Amino acid sequence: MALAPGVANPQEYVGDTVAREQTSLWADAWRRLRRNRLALVATVFIGFVLLVAIISVFWTPYPIYRESVAPTDQAGRDILSRLAVGAQISLEVGVGTQILVVAFGILVGLTAGYYRGILDGVISTVINIFYGIPSLLVALLMVLLLGRGLDKIIIAIAATSWMDMARLVRGQGLALREREFVEAARAGGAKASRIIFRHILPNALGPIIVQATFGVPAAILFEAFLSFLGLGVQPPAPSWGSMAADGFQALRLAPHIVLAPALALSLTLMAFNFLGDGLRDALDPRQKR
Amino acid sequence: MLTRGSLIYMGQRVVLILFTTLAVSSLVFLGVHSLPGNAFISEHRINPQAIAEIMHHYNLDLPLWDQYRLFMSNLILHGNLGESVINRGVQITPLLLREATVSAEVGGVALLFTVGVGVLLGVIAAIKQNTWIDYVATTTSVIGFSMPNFVIASMLLVFFGVWLYNWTGGAFYYDIGWNGTYGTLGQLPVPAFALGFPYASIVARLTRASMLETIKQDYVRTARAKGLPSRIVITRHALRNALIPVVTILGPLVTGIITGSVVIENIFGIPGLGKEFVTSILNRDYNIVIGVFTFYAGLVGLANLVVDMLYTVIDPRIRY
Repeated sequence: MALAPGVANPQEYVGDTVAREQTSLWADAWRRLRRNRLALVATVFIGFVLLVAIISVFWTPYPIYRESVAPTDQAGRDILSRLAVGAQISLEVGVGTQILVVAFGILVGLTAGYYRGILDGVISTVINIFYGIPSLLVALLMVLLLGRGLDKIIIAIAATSWMDMARLVRGQGLALREREFVEAARAGGAKASRIIFRHILPNALGPIIVQATFGVPAAILFEAFLSFLGLGVQPPAPSWGSMAADGFQALRLAPHIVLAPALALSLTLMAFNFLGDGLRDALDPRQKR
Repeated sequence: MLTRGSLIYMGQRVVLILFTTLAVSSLVFLGVHSLPGNAFISEHRINPQAIAEIMHHYNLDLPLWDQYRLFMSNLILHGNLGESVINRGVQITPLLLREATVSAEVGGVALLFTVGVGVLLGVIAAIKQNTWIDYVATTTSVIGFSMPNFVIASMLLVFFGVWLYNWTGGAFYYDIGWNGTYGTLGQLPVPAFALGFPYASIVARLTRASMLETIKQDYVRTARAKGLPSRIVITRHALRNALIPVVTILGPLVTGIITGSVVIENIFGIPGLGKEFVTSILNRDYNIVIGVFTFYAGLVGLANLVVDMLYTVIDPRIRY
C-alpha cells in the first residue's frame, strides 16, 4: 500500500501492534528479490542472455560458419554471432541438466525422505558412492561411452550432479513429514502420494528452486570444461568452451578470441550465482524485510 | 594421535580405496571394451596377418572374460597396466607414475597457494570487516568463485605472456610453454595460481565467516583483556579455532584441484596425468584411458585419506 512515509495507515493497526499485510510466500519473496539490487541486475542480464539465445535461433549478424567483416576468430568466423549461438548451447545445457536433476532429485529424495527405512539406506548409499567419485571422471567416461551429442552431454552432467538435489529434497522430506500439517493430512485419510506431492513438495519448493538456480551455472561451467578439452559438443558448434580453446592457438596475436567467450561465460555464471544468492535470501521466510 | 584405533581405521580405509580403485578400473575396462571397433580400426593395414599379430600382442583376440582376467591379475599382482596401444612398447605404469609426480608438483604448489592466500584474505577481510579492504577481498573472492579456471588461465596468459612482453619490450614476461618434464621455477606460479584461485576464493569466504564468528567469542576477548598483542590474539587464539570449519572443505578442495589440473595442464602444456588423460581419450588409446582412470580413482581416495588424517592434527578433538 503506497502511503507517504510517517503516515500511519489505520487499517494496519490491530490493537497496539502493527499487523503485517497478508501476503503469500511467493509475493513476499518477489518483493524481497526486487529490493536486492545485485540480484535484479543479474536477472536482467540473464534475461538479456536468454533473449540473445532465442534471437540467435532465427537470426545472427553473420552466418556462424562463414567469414565476416566484423571481429573474427582465427578461422574467419564472426565472434559475435558465435557468442550468441554459444549462449543458446550454454542455456540449453544449464536448464536441460537442471530439469533432469530436479525431476530425478525430487523423485529419489522424496522417496528416501518420506518412506525412510531400507529404501532410504539404499538411496543414501548410492548418493555417497557418487559423491566419492570425481564428477569429471564420471562425465568423461559417459561421454566416452555414450558419444558427444548435446543431449548426451546433458545426461552426463546430470548424472554427476543429481546428488546435491536428492540429498536436499531427502532432508526436506525427513523434516516436513513430521510437521503437524502432514499429520493432519494423514489423519484426514490422505494417500501417501497425495501427502508427498500436495503437502510436502510445495513446502520444499523454495530450497529446490534455489538449489536448481545454483545448479544452472555449475552445469554451464561443466559443459564449457568438456568443450574446452575438446570432449564436449562437436567442434563446429560454437560452445563458449570450445571457442576459448580454439582461441588459445592465436593467443599472442589476437587475445580477444579467447577473452570474448571467457568474459561471456564468467558474466553469465556470475549472474546466475548472484540470482541464486538473492533467491536464497528472498525465499527464506524467516527474513521479514 | 596415532592410536591403535586410528591405525585400524586407516587400514580399513586403505582396503576400501583399493577396492574402489579396482571397481573403477573394472568398470572402465568393461565399458571401453564394449565400444564397437578397436584402436587399430583407423589403421589401413592391408595385411590381415599383421592385424592378427597386433591383436594377439594386446590379447584382443581372446574372449572378453579372459582379457579381463589377464588385465586384473597383471594389475593386482604386478601393478602392471599394460602397454600403450598407440605408442607400441611404452609401458603404462612407469609412464603414469612419472606424470603423476609432475601433476603433484603443480597441484602441491596450487594447494599451498590456495590455503595460504585463501586464509590470509579471509582473515584480513574479517579483521577489517566493513572497510574497503573487506570489500576488495570479498569482491575478489566472489569473482574468483565465478570464474572457471581456464578463464583465469587465459587472462593470466594474456596479461603476463602477451601484454607484459609488449610493455617491457621482452625484458620481463611469462614464457608460454613448458620446459622439460618438471618446468622451471619461474613457470610454476602462473598455472598454480590459475589452478588454485577459484578454491582460494572459497577458502577465503569460509575463513572470513568463521573468523567473524570466532573473534566475538569470550576467550578471544579475555586474550585481548590480558593485554596480548593483537597479532598473537588473531593467530594463536582466534585463527586456530576459526580454521576448523575451513579444514573440512580440504577434501573436496583436493579433489577439485586434481580434476582442475586436467584443464590447467592442457592449457599450459604440462606433461602430467591430466594432459595424458585428455590426449589418450582423443587418441583412443584405450589402455592408457583405463590406466589413467585407475590412477585417478586411487589418487583421489588417498588424498582424501590424508586430509582426514590431517583433521586429527588440527583439531585434537577429532578421533577415528
